[in-house]
Amino acid sequence: MIGHDIFVPAPLLVVSIGIMVMLAATAWRRSVGRGFLCATGMLLLAITVVGHHTGKVPDGGDSLFVQDRWTACTAILIMFSTLCIMLMSWRDAGVTREDEYPLLLMLGTLGALAMVFSANYMPFFLGLEILGVSIMGLVTFGHRAVPGHEAAMKYLILSGVSSAILLFGIGLAYGVTGSLRFMPPIAAGAVPAALPVAATIMILAGMFFKLSAVPFHMWLPDVMEGAPVPVAAFVAVVSKIAIFSALVRYFGTQNQPPFLDDILCGVIILTIMGGNLMALRQAGFIRLMAYSSIAHMGYLLIAFVCPGRLQSGVVSVYLAAYTVNTLGVFAAMDAFAIPGGPDGRVVAQWKGAFSSRPFLASVMSLMLLSLAGIPPGIGFFAKFGIAAAGVEHQRDLLLCFLIIGSIIGLYYYLNIVRTMMAAPALPSVKLNRQMRPELTVLVIVLSMIVVIGGLFPARAIHPFLPPPVAPSGTGDGATH
Amino acid sequence: MHALALLAACVTVVGAIMVITRRVAVHAVLYLVVTLLALATVLVMLGASFAAMLEIIIYAGAIMVLFVFVIMMLNLGQPDSAREKEWLRPRAWLGPGVLATIVCAELLYCTSPLSGAAPVPAAITVHDVGADLFGRYVLVVELVSYLLLAGLVSAFYIGRNRAGGR
Repeated sequence: MIGHDIFVPAPLLVVSIGIMVMLAATAWRRSVGRGFLCATGMLLLAITVVGHHTGKVPDGGDSLFVQDRWTACTAILIMFSTLCIMLMSWRDAGVTREDEYPLLLMLGTLGALAMVFSANYMPFFLGLEILGVSIMGLVTFGHRAVPGHEAAMKYLILSGVSSAILLFGIGLAYGVTGSLRFMPPIAAGAVPAALPVAATIMILAGMFFKLSAVPFHMWLPDVMEGAPVPVAAFVAVVSKIAIFSALVRYFGTQNQPPFLDDILCGVIILTIMGGNLMALRQAGFIRLMAYSSIAHMGYLLIAFVCPGRLQSGVVSVYLAAYTVNTLGVFAAMDAFAIPGGPDGRVVAQWKGAFSSRPFLASVMSLMLLSLAGIPPGIGFFAKFGIAAAGVEHQRDLLLCFLIIGSIIGLYYYLNIVRTMMAAPALPSVKLNRQMRPELTVLVIVLSMIVVIGGLFPARAIHPFLPPPVAPSGTGDGATH
Repeated sequence: MHALALLAACVTVVGAIMVITRRVAVHAVLYLVVTLLALATVLVMLGASFAAMLEIIIYAGAIMVLFVFVIMMLNLGQPDSAREKEWLRPRAWLGPGVLATIVCAELLYCTSPLSGAAPVPAAITVHDVGADLFGRYVLVVELVSYLLLAGLVSAFYIGRNRAGGR
């Protein structure tokens, strides 16, 4: 057998083994708690082995996977987010006895990791599909069966369409270059010049669909609204990190091909303005977070079109800040929910939260302010980094829209804080609150990350910064 | 050769459009069979005869039978004989029949000695496919198995949940 010389990044291997172990445990006796324990243990193990791999690193462009500090950085972010989401949903899934839940979360993580590590179209596409199919199952969990099924159906159809576009693009790229290497096709020989352009645009359209950039954003708010809160966090965080990581890997750190520049600028402006303007009118908290996540993807794309010294550092800091803040918001929302009481999915339910639930309200304010980019949080430095990258490349137009978008964002984030500060409408009823120690711990840890990352950015963040990303074709080991 | 491949591709596209516009599921299945056969013809002309065989055996054979079973089990209500008469009117057969005849004629033309020495690209054999699948791309096969697992678990959960909710 050839098992000994196959190059596999260790986290991928550990997570797949974890899934097999969970399946075996399920076959022996079905138990939600054991599934969660097993998944958590395997994820922790996978985080510790990031950066290792089996087999020898293949030379040349023939390998399926790639491993460098950029993959390590995004893989850690993905697994950290899944861990947080496991903690968030531990109690709920335990009540409803759904032991498929941790299994699907792990499968989704495996798909996201496959996308992050891929250096070839095939693992990338398969990872995308594994992630998509798992999310489709996850969206229907919980008691809210009807909106859940509707959301899952929407996701299935729209993600099928976008996968078809992506696959068509990949097919054209293969036709142009004759290789499945994960990089933009370059015209060679007798192929017409329009072919690589069409291939790149189709692949980009498929990726933007999954990233929910604005002309392709329709599915995200509906899907997130139909899903349980932890799954909404999974959709907003894990799938975004994975696809963005793949996008940066795909185009590498060089300048984008010239025909893409106008398209990218248009998409960025539309995404920032569209996400922010539509978030203004939302009364549902989850829909608001969905639109705000669209706007944040727009900011991230600014860093993506400014290749250079700053790029991968800026992108990873922003991704980390976005992940921690979004997870914090959703964790606070999950902790706010009381069985039989308000579930925190509507902004109006948070009215007077500062007097009735002061701890949660302060955490929520901290997270929202950090998302808006106000100094004590890590979000400020992330946004500052993006602005710095934009200034370095003199992207004046995009910077203008970054500022306009941030101002609009400030309005709707602060509006929630204002709602929480208002006097409670009803005299506070003592509802029987469930003690959920794991959620309290999670919320405290996330707030500490936000504050420490915001106060000491250089010391806290610098050691984790990856060097500029090498495009998958040129092998690994690009250094400063 | 080029024109023939394009013709088969056209049949595929026409068939696929007919599949999604039919109102009766059985008629859609008829067109789907023709679509798959035409697709297999395209694959043969590209030299991927093994993929074409798989296409026919798995899709046109096994999966179609599954579709027909599901349709039969879901469409209860009307008496069987009346329903089948309604489904299998000659008009319903006309379109798929014409498309299938085109594909068949094309295949016959290709295999007959009259067409001259058509330059067939070097065929991809079972050996090549197997060696690649279990050599270079063995990890991709593993990933596909996880994809199937994810689909299975999702479908199982959604199905069980819906059945319990009713």
